[in-house]
Amino acid sequence: MRTMMRRELLQKTAVGLGSLALAHVRQRQGRSATDADSVDWTHPLAPRRPHFRPPAKAVIWIVLNGGASQVDTWDYKPELQRRAGQTLPGADTGTGFFQTSGKLLKSPFRFSQRGQSGTWVPEIFPHLAHHVDELALVHSCWTQSNNHSPALFQINTGLNRMGFPCVGSWVSYGLGTENANLPAFVVMTDAKGRGLPKGRAQNWGAGFLPSVYQGVALNNTGAPLDHLVRRPGQSTQQQRAVLETLGALNQQHLRRYGEETELSARIESFELAFRMQMTAPEVLDIDRESAHTRRAYGVDNQQCAHFGRQCLMARRLVEQGVRFVQIYSGGSGNAESWDGHVDIRANHTNFAAEIDQPTAALIGDLKARGLLDSTLVVCGGEFGRTSDSQGSRGRDHNPHAFTTWFAGGGIQGGVHYGATDAFGYRVVENHASVHDLHATLLYLLGMHHEQLTYRFNGRDYRLTDVHGTPIAPIMV
Amino acid sequence: MLGTMTSELQNGNGEMPRLPSRVRQSGNFRWFCTRGDKPLCSAAVWWSWLTAMLLLCAGSPASGDEVSLAGIAFFEKRIRPVLVKHCYACHSAAAKELRGGLFLDTRGGLLMGGDSGPAAVPRRVEASLLIRAVRYQGPKMPPAGKLPDAAIADLEKWVRIGMPDPRAVTRPDAPPSRKIDLETGRQFWAFRQLRSVEPPPVPDEQKAWPRTPIDRFILARRAGLGLRPASRADRRVLLRRASFDLLGLPPTPDAVKAFMENSWEQAYRGLLDQLLESDDYGERWARHWLDIARFAESNGFEKDEDRPTAYHYRDFVIKALNRDLPYDEFVRWQIAGDLLQPDEPLARAATGFLVAGVMNVTQTFKEFERDRYDELDDMVSTLGTAMLGITIGCARCHDHKYDPIQQLDYYRLAASFAQTTGREIPLADQEDAPRAYAALDVGDRVTKSDLKQFNSFGDRDRYFVNAQVHFLDRGDVGHKGQVVAQGFPQVLLRPDNDVSRWTGSGESATSRRVALARWLTDVEHGAGSLLARVIVNRLWYHHLGVGLVATPSDLGIRGGVASHPQLLEWLAAELIRQDWRLKPIHRLIMNSAVYLQRYQSDPASLRTDPQNQWYWRRRLRRLEAEVLRDAMLAASGLLDGTRYGPGTLDEGSQRRSIYFTVKRSRLVSALSQFDAPDGLQGVGRRQTTTVAPQALLLLNSERIRQYAVGFARRIDGSGTVDLAMVIQRGYQYALARPATAGESRQLARFLENQIESYQAAGAEQPRQLAVTDFCQLLFCLNEFAYVE
Repeated sequence: MRTMMRRELLQKTAVGLGSLALAHVRQRQGRSATDADSVDWTHPLAPRRPHFRPPAKAVIWIVLNGGASQVDTWDYKPELQRRAGQTLPGADTGTGFFQTSGKLLKSPFRFSQRGQSGTWVPEIFPHLAHHVDELALVHSCWTQSNNHSPALFQINTGLNRMGFPCVGSWVSYGLGTENANLPAFVVMTDAKGRGLPKGRAQNWGAGFLPSVYQGVALNNTGAPLDHLVRRPGQSTQQQRAVLETLGALNQQHLRRYGEETELSARIESFELAFRMQMTAPEVLDIDRESAHTRRAYGVDNQQCAHFGRQCLMARRLVEQGVRFVQIYSGGSGNAESWDGHVDIRANHTNFAAEIDQPTAALIGDLKARGLLDSTLVVCGGEFGRTSDSQGSRGRDHNPHAFTTWFAGGGIQGGVHYGATDAFGYRVVENHASVHDLHATLLYLLGMHHEQLTYRFNGRDYRLTDVHGTPIAPIMV
Repeated sequence: MLGTMTSELQNGNGEMPRLPSRVRQSGNFRWFCTRGDKPLCSAAVWWSWLTAMLLLCAGSPASGDEVSLAGIAFFEKRIRPVLVKHCYACHSAAAKELRGGLFLDTRGGLLMGGDSGPAAVPRRVEASLLIRAVRYQGPKMPPAGKLPDAAIADLEKWVRIGMPDPRAVTRPDAPPSRKIDLETGRQFWAFRQLRSVEPPPVPDEQKAWPRTPIDRFILARRAGLGLRPASRADRRVLLRRASFDLLGLPPTPDAVKAFMENSWEQAYRGLLDQLLESDDYGERWARHWLDIARFAESNGFEKDEDRPTAYHYRDFVIKALNRDLPYDEFVRWQIAGDLLQPDEPLARAATGFLVAGVMNVTQTFKEFERDRYDELDDMVSTLGTAMLGITIGCARCHDHKYDPIQQLDYYRLAASFAQTTGREIPLADQEDAPRAYAALDVGDRVTKSDLKQFNSFGDRDRYFVNAQVHFLDRGDVGHKGQVVAQGFPQVLLRPDNDVSRWTGSGESATSRRVALARWLTDVEHGAGSLLARVIVNRLWYHHLGVGLVATPSDLGIRGGVASHPQLLEWLAAELIRQDWRLKPIHRLIMNSAVYLQRYQSDPASLRTDPQNQWYWRRRLRRLEAEVLRDAMLAASGLLDGTRYGPGTLDEGSQRRSIYFTVKRSRLVSALSQFDAPDGLQGVGRRQTTTVAPQALLLLNSERIRQYAVGFARRIDGSGTVDLAMVIQRGYQYALARPATAGESRQLARFLENQIESYQAAGAEQPRQLAVTDFCQLLFCLNEFAYVE
């Protein structure tokens, strides 16, 4: 396995402050990501300049909802395999939601080393195994709660309390969107009817940020977006007639209130709405893709078809300028998500099969289209799982260690950052908090996490609260 | 102001401008702005200096972009840890006592320097004081011992490459001062006792304008600015304005007729009487309060269980407003109504305020205590912003960075709720009394294991915390300190006051919530003055579109500066003179010339006061989400006026929007799309956003179409009326005015064309479809959605 290369960052000559100074001037002029004063509220989603020129423009975040087990996926521990059944040193049997045994449970999966980087990959990720050299794996993630909804809130908003803006909302607030015909921030939930993640829509809520920044969840049945389709019986021309007259009357009204930009923005919004009716459904229609592409994503494979469609849609959205896409793997019930309390083998075999081919196809497809360099792909759960067993074959929640991987824009592939102990139970090296993950994500999008603020009830809030450091070693 | 300055520094092409020569020549900027004993000469100068300084340090912007990643990474890895470890203890906002006036925890602080001048000059290693100090050449820093050579070399390198630094530039407003000075704090305008203020005299030539004492304050602030006040808006505009302001509903054609008949003064007086008497008023204004109270009817978190009886609190707010319950009583009931007036069901329901926040009932043992402190925090923070307009919640982990509120103040206040939790309580003492979700004081232990919904693992009996509040170091339950006795923020107490004035002592000790309620509303000795200022500012904000202090939930040092401090003071005193009744204040404001102004275009005034902070014209405002929907229902004649009782999640309901159940995980999207809050934190001022999905909703939502169908039936039921008449009726219901000749012509043409088009398409009822399109068009008009 390749060790982390400590790059001599200064070989690349000087400065930094220059860009900051300019970013600073620009942001005060109202078009760069900083605080609420710099937003043009008549165009809250207009594209805004990042603080510096970023590698990534968009994010696709795959949430392994329920908490994937690190030791059964990306954090291979030979010692755990060898000492199965023995007592886990330093075990805290109250680590999770229930009670664990304190006895080591070996991973039921075979691992092999893959790629130039020699990354250990479990047999349940045969497709992703081909892309390990694209991935930067952060093995030292930890979080504060051992309970789903607080931990999901934390991975999404930085805080394990309810009511704060999620990362997608912060990004939309900071950067706006590049395609006004589509939502800035799109969320896809389990398409197999297994429900929403715990904590539901608050996971993509805008908190105290204006609600335009909240995630738009695609409908899993019927039209994917609300109100995109004209009512039956009304033709384009008939609707156009309404809009023409509406526009004319609004223009007359505007003459009386010419200085009110909000009014002209609202006039524009109707024209934009009219165009969205045509463009948005096209983008979301994956039948426009070639059979070859659809097959690559596994759309014809019953087990992963739903997730394949979502990954393909995500690529189409990002390609069209959507800023942030989040896809939840799994639904609400324990057995209906990565929450393998009872039988880690059955659970993870099943859910890995749902995401493996589509996620691998997504990376490959983005790369083939030259989009991977400008798209950040993130994949991980809200916490990890215990190294000791719950019951005989399950694992409980473990907030002390989990793995999140990054790929794409600004990421150095084949890198492993941080480490857990011999059993994958606790982080022992380079702790990466959720704030660090968020700071990294913002950084790759060109934003200093300390400078993206919103004043609410007297306080300048940040996504990263008062913490966070971008994880430089996983970056190019 | 800032915008002008920065644009001076950057010309239109985005190229680097020439900098003002004095900035370029100056090696030491101390003459530019001073620090230490004296305040910064002004935020503006400070900013201009800093901006200039940053530009000065800038290399080629293009190359800057390329390398910033590397430079910043170097800072993160090598520089920040050194600064944090060796410097922040004395030179940061977190310092116990700031030394030498120097902040090293911001970019600006470093460049601007402290008492001895700039700490470092980018790229000039030898000229940088910081470098001399760490080399122990001159001042020896850090004093505890010289840094390792490697660290010194890193710092030198960092300066040499231009000091890349991602940290915030300190904001231009008050730099944080770590020493809380209570005496100075008590003199801050918002925290001192109300002073008696006389409305200023009016110069003779302006005698014609003022109608109330309010106007005299407005005039005085306008004096000498040459602003031309707008004349009174026309009657129809005023009628619509007053109706939406007080009732959240459009005026009916009958009301228009009545209002046009009498003399103006008489008609307007009659109108205000009538509006303030209407029970629609409570439904309108309760929504403002519910925003502030983060009201919702579910638990949040994993399963977001319903609180089916939480609506009693919403009904309490509506009823209290309609009967003009004095505001101090309104506040006392929400804190301790169950204890103060146990015989009054409304008072019992009122404490729903305290517990309206989220409550996690799916829990692990490890989280239980931390969650309890989160619940306390929710109560304390909401109380602070809603009632006192101060951000007490900021003092959970450390002393407040700006306001004179100590961390201990926070925990003392939290101790008021040590026993308090949310439960369904009976609204009267009879056995079959209805129950409401409200506050309940439990005994020695706070637990949730009595709740059916409580979901946890293992022995439920161990899930409890003692009903007491500990001081938490850094707000962390892992660092529990002493048990804290109830108390109130020192800055809102007179220096000689003993808390026992409100809490009693020994045998006469009162319940903690009762003591808190008394202190909050005590004008003489407690927080009553601030309480009054906050609420009159909120009323002003809702009537005029901007608060006298622009941040209605933050009147602290970091909040907005009062545009008319004397007026705010006078209004607060007036509220108390009126026995804390809100309706006289509504009447007073709405009778003022400043309220009655029309919108005007006046380039000269606009240049002088582009923000309109001196009120030279009326503002235009978009109807809030609920009002927009209610107005469509009202215009269509579909509005179901049933008041009170359980709400619904059925979006087909035609009751007023305030009767939608607020379920945190299932917000009514037609409302949240138009910026309705999510019931998670108190919101004093909604943001108004304008985006295309709102337009899509108005154009394509089935629901909106239903309203339009109802509207069409109302104005063209028989389908035989002259189309011109249909148009006029539509305008009357939707906009409370007749259509002009031009509008009529335009719309008649539209209707005829639509009819023809539907006919050609073989539709069965082309006229009905066309008139419905017309009605929907009315809903989409800017004039419908905005009130002048």
